[in-house]
Amino acid sequence: MDMSQYKALFLSESREYLRSIAEQVVALEQSPAERSAVDALFRGAHSLKGMAASMEYGDVVVVAHGMEDLMARVRDGALPFDAGVADLLLEGVDLIDALLDDVEQERPSTLPTGDYAQRLAIYTPARPKASREVQAEPEPTHPDAAAPPAAEAEKAKESAGEAGGTVRVKTELLDHLINLTGELVTNKQRLLNIGRELASPALDDAVSETAKLLRALHDEVMKVRLMPFEAISDRFQRSVRSVAKKSGKEIHFELTGREIGLDRGMLEQLVDPLNHILRNAVDHGIEESGERERAGKPARGTVWLAVTRDRDRIQITVRDDGRGMEPKAMIEAAIAKGVLSPEEGELLSPDQALMLSCIPGFSTAKEVTDISGRGVGMDAVNAAIQKLGGTLGIDSEPGRGTTITLRLPLTIAIIHALVVQIGQVKAAIPVNAVQRTVELSRGQIETMGKRQMFQLDGEPIPLLSLNRVLGLPLGRFPDGILPLFVTQAKGRRVGIVVDRLLGQHELFVKQLGRPLSKMAGVAGGATLGDGEIVAILDLAGLL
Amino acid sequence: MTPQRLLLFSAARQLFAFNLQEVCEVMEPQQCYPFAGVPPHYLGLINFHGNLTALVDLASYLGLQSRPLPGKLLVIDTRLAHLALKVDAVGSILDAGSITGASSHDDPLTEALLETPQGSVRLIRLEALLSGLEQELQGSVPNDAKPGGT
Repeated sequence: MDMSQYKALFLSESREYLRSIAEQVVALEQSPAERSAVDALFRGAHSLKGMAASMEYGDVVVVAHGMEDLMARVRDGALPFDAGVADLLLEGVDLIDALLDDVEQERPSTLPTGDYAQRLAIYTPARPKASREVQAEPEPTHPDAAAPPAAEAEKAKESAGEAGGTVRVKTELLDHLINLTGELVTNKQRLLNIGRELASPALDDAVSETAKLLRALHDEVMKVRLMPFEAISDRFQRSVRSVAKKSGKEIHFELTGREIGLDRGMLEQLVDPLNHILRNAVDHGIEESGERERAGKPARGTVWLAVTRDRDRIQITVRDDGRGMEPKAMIEAAIAKGVLSPEEGELLSPDQALMLSCIPGFSTAKEVTDISGRGVGMDAVNAAIQKLGGTLGIDSEPGRGTTITLRLPLTIAIIHALVVQIGQVKAAIPVNAVQRTVELSRGQIETMGKRQMFQLDGEPIPLLSLNRVLGLPLGRFPDGILPLFVTQAKGRRVGIVVDRLLGQHELFVKQLGRPLSKMAGVAGGATLGDGEIVAILDLAGLL
Repeated sequence: MTPQRLLLFSAARQLFAFNLQEVCEVMEPQQCYPFAGVPPHYLGLINFHGNLTALVDLASYLGLQSRPLPGKLLVIDTRLAHLALKVDAVGSILDAGSITGASSHDDPLTEALLETPQGSVRLIRLEALLSGLEQELQGSVPNDAKPGGT
């Protein structure tokens, strides 16, 4: 029987099982007595084995069979669920994942599955000391945590499986639907323009009604694109576990909101930024056990990752109860590195000082580690979040910990943007990056050294020409009025001067393919109501 | 290996070819919108069936004398890129069997120099063209204008 037609289904279902197994393993490490999770792990490995056997993928069968046997020993009480078992199971997940890649690419596998199966078969538990270490410290309880992590993961899995009357749809089809809806939004704008020219109340009514229907259609189509956060969350659990192990720290990791739906296109782009924030929290935020105890804290540090939704906004927070950040130390480090002058440093508020960590190359970590890199990360994180139309905020209290908050739109397909004229070119700036617009008379401009500034709410704001940044001829402003918008760059507010502010538009964002997708400072493109194409600027990448 | 079928075209009085499978459409010139911050051989963006597509003057990119002709637009397969090339004219589709000789060329952009009944033809290596355009864009980072310069 030709099974190749079922390959895509096999791959997609197997990867779902792997994701679930990885989540259960990490959750079980924190609550080893959770019987339901032990059973779920056993069932996961068993199902994977069965599916692979029916497709005749022998290597996957060997690995899944070994995992199933190991879990059977845990389930029957012959083996405690210790760190060694967790390591072996996670190794198995990685191995099967690599085997699935081979299946997908239709290439023969050379992975040593036999050796892995043998190690599983002869595995004996670590000495009691090690197991006591895992279990000695009581789990920190959190008032919000209604169910233990393992049970929660199992519940999430079950509810996902319960969805009756569902159908698998190819992602390209969804993308096509979104594309068509976006084109309709653009066309609606065109009709509105024509309606204005014709001054026809009947046409205006019809367009207005169409706009309402379109909004409803857009909302429904976007819902289809949403995927639960749990589609990527297992990677974070594993990442935290791995960094904690490498740095020899005791960490309790809590994840809430795994069921919250996010735009499919956004999820993948959140993996690296969130991984970086979490690794920073464990590596630099959480102190060594001894230091924590001396400070009167529990020896085990806690990192929380929470996802919440408020109407059409998603909020993701990463919080740790570590050493926190000291704004004064951040300013001193920035001055020492030549990023700020002492005078500029004095102007920064504590919140602005914390945002200095998002400047390229800025790091106050005393030691460079191979875990969190060399302080080149937070600027990339900030840029990635801005590219998604979101914002990043940092809140920290020395000695108590740090909270990093990402605020994101529910969808990245349709945004509100400020359209500006610069030379012969129009460009759009997502409104999340625009704090306000100003029309400045030349008399309001002050010169401080080589810089031109203006005062806004008692704060001197430096001016920058978008024309100059983009290599376009500078504006002339014969009436003496400079239009500008205020944005945040490198931790402080900047006034970006343009030739004209053309107003706010609802834009359907289109990704630019090769070669323009490689261009820094451009987040995509969009078509205005009159058919004109504009670039959507990514100010974080541009400034 | 020479593709089975090639699309011949001309730019700056020279003959070029693409693997026919890499081109999805030949179009008349159409409304193009300027795009800031790109090198001068980018003529702007066009809307190709909903895809925002960069339009590049091929002759100018190759450092050849661009001719003031309306020309034609070669749209690259949208699965490979969102790129259209302005060329002077598009000729025939050439069967691999009609090629009488082939030699290598120093230019990394040229897959081979083909001898055909129409004359000597440079077969363009699309991947090299795309990589070259991308590297150029990565190199042309925006001006490092310090705040204050209005």
